[in-house]
Amino acid sequence: MITGSTRRRWTVTAARYGALVLAAAVLALPFVYMVSTSLKPRTLLLEYPPTLVPADPTLANYATAWGANNFGRYFLNSASVALATTVCTVLLASMMAYSFARFRYPGRGVLFATVVLGLTIPTMLLIIPQFLLAKDLGLIDSLPGLVPFYVGTQLAFTTFLLRAFFERIPRELDEAMLIDGAGAWRRYWNLALPLSKPALATTGIFVFLGSWDEFVWALTVINDVSNRTLPIGIALFRGQHGTSWGLVFAASVIAVLPVVVVYVLFQRHIVSGLTSGALKG
Amino acid sequence: MRSSRAAWGAGVAVLALGLSACGGEADGSGSGGEPIAEAGAGELSGTVTFWHAYSADSPEVRTLEDSIIPAFEEEHPDVTVESVPVPYDDLHQKLVTAVAGDALPDLVRSDIIWVPELADLGVLVPLDEEMPDFQEYADQMYEGPLETNLWQGSYYGLPLDTNTRVLMYNQEALDAAGVDGPPETFADMREMASAFADDGRYLFADNGTSGWNVLPWIWSAGGDITDADVTTATGHLDSPESVAGVELLVDLYEQGAIPDLMLGAEGGTQTSDGLPAGEYATILDGPWMFPIFESQYPDFDLMTAPVPAGDGGSVSVVGGESIVLTQASENKAAAAEFLRFLLSEDVQLELAAVGQMPVLSSLAEQLPEVQPYYAPFVEQVENARPRPPTPAWPRVEEVLSREVQLALRGEKTAEQALGDAATEIDGLLAQYAG
Amino acid sequence: MTTTTTPSRPPTVAPGRAVGRRRTRGAPGSAARRRAAVAGYAFALPGFAVYALIMLYPAVQALLISLRDYAITPGAPSPWVGLENYARALEDPVLLRSFVNAGFYMVATVPAQVVIGLLLAVLLDAKLPGRTLFRVLFYLPVVTSWVVVSLLFQYLFATDRGVVNWLLVDVTGLFDGDVAWLGERWPALVAISVLGIWKGVGWSMIIFLAALTGVPRELHEAAALDGAGAMRRFRYVSLPFIRGTLSTVLILLVIGSFNVFISVLLMTGGGPLDQTQVPLTYMYRQAFTFLDFGYGSAISFLLTLVVLALAALQYGITRRKASEVDG
Repeated sequence: MITGSTRRRWTVTAARYGALVLAAAVLALPFVYMVSTSLKPRTLLLEYPPTLVPADPTLANYATAWGANNFGRYFLNSASVALATTVCTVLLASMMAYSFARFRYPGRGVLFATVVLGLTIPTMLLIIPQFLLAKDLGLIDSLPGLVPFYVGTQLAFTTFLLRAFFERIPRELDEAMLIDGAGAWRRYWNLALPLSKPALATTGIFVFLGSWDEFVWALTVINDVSNRTLPIGIALFRGQHGTSWGLVFAASVIAVLPVVVVYVLFQRHIVSGLTSGALKG
Repeated sequence: MRSSRAAWGAGVAVLALGLSACGGEADGSGSGGEPIAEAGAGELSGTVTFWHAYSADSPEVRTLEDSIIPAFEEEHPDVTVESVPVPYDDLHQKLVTAVAGDALPDLVRSDIIWVPELADLGVLVPLDEEMPDFQEYADQMYEGPLETNLWQGSYYGLPLDTNTRVLMYNQEALDAAGVDGPPETFADMREMASAFADDGRYLFADNGTSGWNVLPWIWSAGGDITDADVTTATGHLDSPESVAGVELLVDLYEQGAIPDLMLGAEGGTQTSDGLPAGEYATILDGPWMFPIFESQYPDFDLMTAPVPAGDGGSVSVVGGESIVLTQASENKAAAAEFLRFLLSEDVQLELAAVGQMPVLSSLAEQLPEVQPYYAPFVEQVENARPRPPTPAWPRVEEVLSREVQLALRGEKTAEQALGDAATEIDGLLAQYAG
Repeated sequence: MTTTTTPSRPPTVAPGRAVGRRRTRGAPGSAARRRAAVAGYAFALPGFAVYALIMLYPAVQALLISLRDYAITPGAPSPWVGLENYARALEDPVLLRSFVNAGFYMVATVPAQVVIGLLLAVLLDAKLPGRTLFRVLFYLPVVTSWVVVSLLFQYLFATDRGVVNWLLVDVTGLFDGDVAWLGERWPALVAISVLGIWKGVGWSMIIFLAALTGVPRELHEAAALDGAGAMRRFRYVSLPFIRGTLSTVLILLVIGSFNVFISVLLMTGGGPLDQTQVPLTYMYRQAFTFLDFGYGSAISFLLTLVVLALAALQYGITRRKASEVDG
């Protein structure tokens, strides 16, 4: 009986790992290719057919990429903007989502519908009106000036996602705190947010990535070389007639690292058991 | 709006943690409005902002920022030149948005095909009217590149660097097909085609049917797209000569001497790989291919020849960039002075050393010494024509490209396709008439 | 609005303590309701104000542009043309094709992303050595730049010596000859969809992981003791808990699929002969290549309408299903 169940558990674990390894191979392979190309000596054309293991691996591309025109500065710029955007967006969106999920007031439906509308508007189209707005606000060519635009364009998505999570928190918990005399802010800060750590971590991951990777808006409003963000720095390696792929890939690998670090830090909060029993459908 | 200001405040506070100092505005210029002075005249000061698409990893941008600009600033100690590199693929979008927001810089190194469009939008200074010594510069330029700046009777820019396409060939691939040398005429092309039919190798390859791709064939056949004033295509694009140029491509494609790559679809072997691999015996391309082949296919012996000649001779297409001065510039005198500096012989030679082919015809003889690979291009650029300078060019090119594709696919004859194209292009050009 | 920065200050909210105290004293009805309303506004407004300024205001401007023959130069005349741009869009065969293409992309990518993402999330929602490593590996496609992966997939799907053709023709013999994947409409859309799925599964996986954390472990254990297999436990224990998230993810993915852009732009450029255009690549060309921002804006709002209709339809269906289950 015991041996049978152990064997069965082993089979299940083996199957689980088998599926995971297979998925990992398929999903990570292109990334491996990117890393491998970045280790190849300077090339202007992609190798054809592609090879996974470089013949003479070199870190030259990394040294060049990092050394080229303020790459370190771009890196710091991107990190500051992405961090500020993530904090602001998650704070404002979670408040809005909490409002939509927990309070009844006239116009709530309209406000929420307006936010959902924002999900469906292609932002590329807004670039000229937004540029004119940024000019009126004096936010052209300003690094902090990127933040309100990144926050504004990511609020709809973040609010929409967080609202779905807040709605799962049982109302009885709110009512219990209400009886204890807790105000709206305390119920939000001490109840809703802690119970929604996995959701906050998830949206935080996405918002950080969204700001870190943003290219078109930053390129459009930033002129001063010292105000540039990382995606612009990487795009500058792509030439009109030839692209230094090794450099582009090396720079892309460098650019991915902070996103992975943020992800690893945040995803620790996405685990079952912390909130066991507190939530229900 | 108080709450958004609070949010904004929070954003700034967080930013302050991560930021030491955000570079403030360093623009001290304020001398806008006055007419552009003669070269070298008067005291100049202020900032000149210069947008360009020299790529970050290129020797061009190093030469510009570490040598040319410092030399200029030494001559004009009160002037600061700010170099703003923008990725080529995104420069047009950034320019368009800047036009809408009235936020253009002083000077732009623009692809020659955008100049008429920007001129039509009214954001460029007509240099021939406002720069007193314009003619002096214009006289030194190659005719083809200069004409790309002409829109409705005025010149809105001066060429900064130029290039053109020549025939590049792989002698081994020609040998393998039993052909002695590169095709010199349309007749040679037709004759050689049978040697390449259906064996996985091709006599000629190109990656599409845009103006850049097909115009050398139309012009060399003696045809044209429009009249000299760029007002009508009928009678030019549908002329028997133009049709003959496109028919050459269609016939070679049908014989299997040109690959599917020309249909404009992705997925085929690129010319940059196919030529050195011997899959393609000949291609048309520009001088930048030399460093690319040298780094990627060091064993490949790249050879060049003029564009094969038809009834109209051997005519290629002009590429390159112009430098334009914007109406928005508040420091036109200093900007114009930097423009002149970029067109001086010394600076042009300096840029030639890093792959930017000069526009001054006076330098033609020195060029092969600077870079041997310039020789065939110096020759061809004398017989190279600009794509018709019109703001309608993006749409015109779309029509041309589509119709030539339909001809290649056999859905229309070359004659039908170019007839349809001419009718449609007439309508597009009419929108800008007068 | 000015941009003077005020010191960072947590958005203050109507003092809720008072509400609570009153409430405990048993003051129900309108006063409490009013306080809830005040708190509701106070929580929603800061975010909504930023959203309204950065998104809605420019969107209204764009809507006005779509009703004009818009000249981008400031001061140049931009005459009103009413609904002319929209009328033109409805008769544009390329635009219609671009919507059909996006529809294909949606059908091909959305279910696959949901199913595979959910499967990976379920597999990783357990104490498992190496869990973080797998989570990172699955997330890598999400963080790798679209530009880089689009180029990579272009190579995988190349006609002559591409890996995909090599697998299909030389290794497995499933196909007789090479497929020009990127050279024809439907094969190209298949290739673009494969990229979309590959890039997207990690994204839905993360959201599902977060949703699964809400499933009480005790329920699973109880069901396991009752002899329920993994499938039944998922169906009757996990699924009811993540139904809301599932519907949210579906809506977001449908919206996202109609906004597919960079992969198409880089893999086929909408060609050959406009066969693989999607609404955004087509809109981009009208606006930024041809400078026809009036028409480009009209295309964008038509896209918004289509996506909204789909989202509403979906919302209605999931709502009805949920009430059927609950009732």
